Amino acid sequence: MSTNTIRIYLAEDNAADVWLIEESLRRRSIVFEIENFTTAAEGIEAVLRYGSTDAPVPDLMLLDYNLPGGHGGDILASAARNPHLSSVPKAVVTSFLQPEEITAVMQMGAACVITKPAGLDEFMAEVGGKVETLLAGRVGRTAAADSQSSSLKT
Amino acid sequence: MRSAATAHHPDDSALARHRPVKLLLVDDDAANLLALEAILEPLHEELMLAQSGADALRLCLEHKFAAILLDVRMPDMDGFETAELIRSRKKSQLTPILFLTAYRSDEQLFRGYDLGAVDFLFKPIVPEVLQSKVSVFVGLSRAEQLLQSQAEELTRAEQRFRAVLEAAPDAMVITTESGVIELANSRTDVLFGYPREALIGRNVQSLIPKWEYVAAEPENGAGQHLAEVRLTGIRRDGSVFPAQITRSPFHCSGKWLVTTAIRDATDQVEAEHRIQRINAELEKRVEERTAALTYSNEALRQFAWAASHDLQEPIRTVLSYSQWLATSGPETPAENRQRMLAIIQHHAGRLHQLLNALRQYVQVSEWGAAESTQEKLVMVDCNAVLQQVVANLAGLIEESGAVIEWDPLPVVFGIEVLFVQLFQNLITNGIKYRSAKPPALRISAEKPADRWIFSVQDNGIGIDPKYSDYVFGVFRRLQRTGGTGMGLAICRAAAERLGGRIWIEESKPGMGSLFRFSISPRCE
Repeated sequence: MSTNTIRIYLAEDNAADVWLIEESLRRRSIVFEIENFTTAAEGIEAVLRYGSTDAPVPDLMLLDYNLPGGHGGDILASAARNPHLSSVPKAVVTSFLQPEEITAVMQMGAACVITKPAGLDEFMAEVGGKVETLLAGRVGRTAAADSQSSSLKT
Repeated sequence: MRSAATAHHPDDSALARHRPVKLLLVDDDAANLLALEAILEPLHEELMLAQSGADALRLCLEHKFAAILLDVRMPDMDGFETAELIRSRKKSQLTPILFLTAYRSDEQLFRGYDLGAVDFLFKPIVPEVLQSKVSVFVGLSRAEQLLQSQAEELTRAEQRFRAVLEAAPDAMVITTESGVIELANSRTDVLFGYPREALIGRNVQSLIPKWEYVAAEPENGAGQHLAEVRLTGIRRDGSVFPAQITRSPFHCSGKWLVTTAIRDATDQVEAEHRIQRINAELEKRVEERTAALTYSNEALRQFAWAASHDLQEPIRTVLSYSQWLATSGPETPAENRQRMLAIIQHHAGRLHQLLNALRQYVQVSEWGAAESTQEKLVMVDCNAVLQQVVANLAGLIEESGAVIEWDPLPVVFGIEVLFVQLFQNLITNGIKYRSAKPPALRISAEKPADRWIFSVQDNGIGIDPKYSDYVFGVFRRLQRTGGTGMGLAICRAAAERLGGRIWIEESKPGMGSLFRFSISPRCE
């Protein structure tokens, strides 16, 4: 595995969306490795485990909002309790969110909300673009100081 | 005998105000009678003349005289005999008699006074003396008449007052300012249970402890009503009742008296309480209705959101993948194109599945029923329902080797399709989410209180208690694979439509689940 490989934590129960997300990263020449969780319970379990085992901490967390047994917000809440994940950028990926839900997930530590659009080109542009921005922010941040982690939230 | 009624002068207005009194003149000598008549004529009273004792007695039977002038010496029956007979009659017992005599004899005087004479006049008559003496008796008679008519008037007024008092619908007492009862009507006896005589002299405060009268502005006089108040009345047997009372003071013989009307307000109080109860009930119903509407609005909102969100997913996937497939060039491996096609088919199928589940949910949920009409309930044999459900699920049961048992179930009133949905979804879940063991389900029903409660016990993978509410929401799944996430939402809608609810009685991961649902007591 190359050192440029981006580790992505992906909580997504729809295999079709997993493939689309992978395709959108591929089209931007991002080298990645995805750890896919398909229920809220699995996702939460993994989040709590980081740091206490050998499992490497991800570089990016993408969370579907609607998951079997819960939603992305539940995972964000668990992630907030694990200090090893405090500097990992997190985004909620969803087809539709109400304004108050967007506010809620932002407050729970999401850097942004990525909307899954209908249509292939739109999906590639939206998901690929947002992931690229998030990763750029991560690089900038590791080069500077950890305290600037919230630049994307505002 | 002749009457001298013509002596009356109706044109003399000063005297016409008085009714003339009658005077009887008795003398056997017509000339003497004429003379007496002439002397008394100026008095303008009614003069009646008699020439014998017998005539005089006859007139005394028919008339009441203010005075009788009686000649002592008459043939047949003299004045004294006549007087004795006049006196012996009750009607004329007290009529003043003036004897006319020519002789001043002491014997005559004594006899005359013995017989009740009030005076003697000696002949020859001096007109002025006669006039003035008769005038005195006329005045006395008139005063007596006046007194009598006043007494009659008083009696009539008293009778009228009594009649009004007795006819009053309320108990009424007249008391002193301090409350001592001077008068009470019969309604008072009835209301308080005391005989009338026991009420007079008693203080009204022994009947109505909080009765009081404070003379606020006594100069205002009678007719001033005090505000109506509601106090407590105590009957003779100690029982109490709400007493509506009005008090009106009046001034009488230099002191203040108070008329108190007392009404038993039990019915009124009950009516007021009834109105209060009805109002409270109405308010409660409005609150319940509002709560129900709020609940149903919130449910509708959640449903609309979930529906739009969850239906959006397969559509979006179908759209994106069909575009991807359409734009993929020859460099795309055939294997990938096959997979894209499979994804499109899978999501199109899933959309179909979701829409079917939605249709069932809408049919089952209360939004499908007209709000205002009473739901038509029919007899539902739950045993027959289970047989039908088992037949519907024959394929799944056979493939999984599931064992389904049930106790004898009740026949209830309800809507059959709702029971089918409840049992079918719960049994399907029990089989679909099975553990390593072959599925085994047991269905039973009991009626611990006023309503039936059904139990469906499975031996499946169980549900973490933290999801025990979550699972009943629309499009809620605990696992990635499998159903639409609508099964338990449909069950909840069905149970609520049947006037009950559904819950997970007991469930642990790996230990199976016990689902229970109740139905309305109306579904007897």
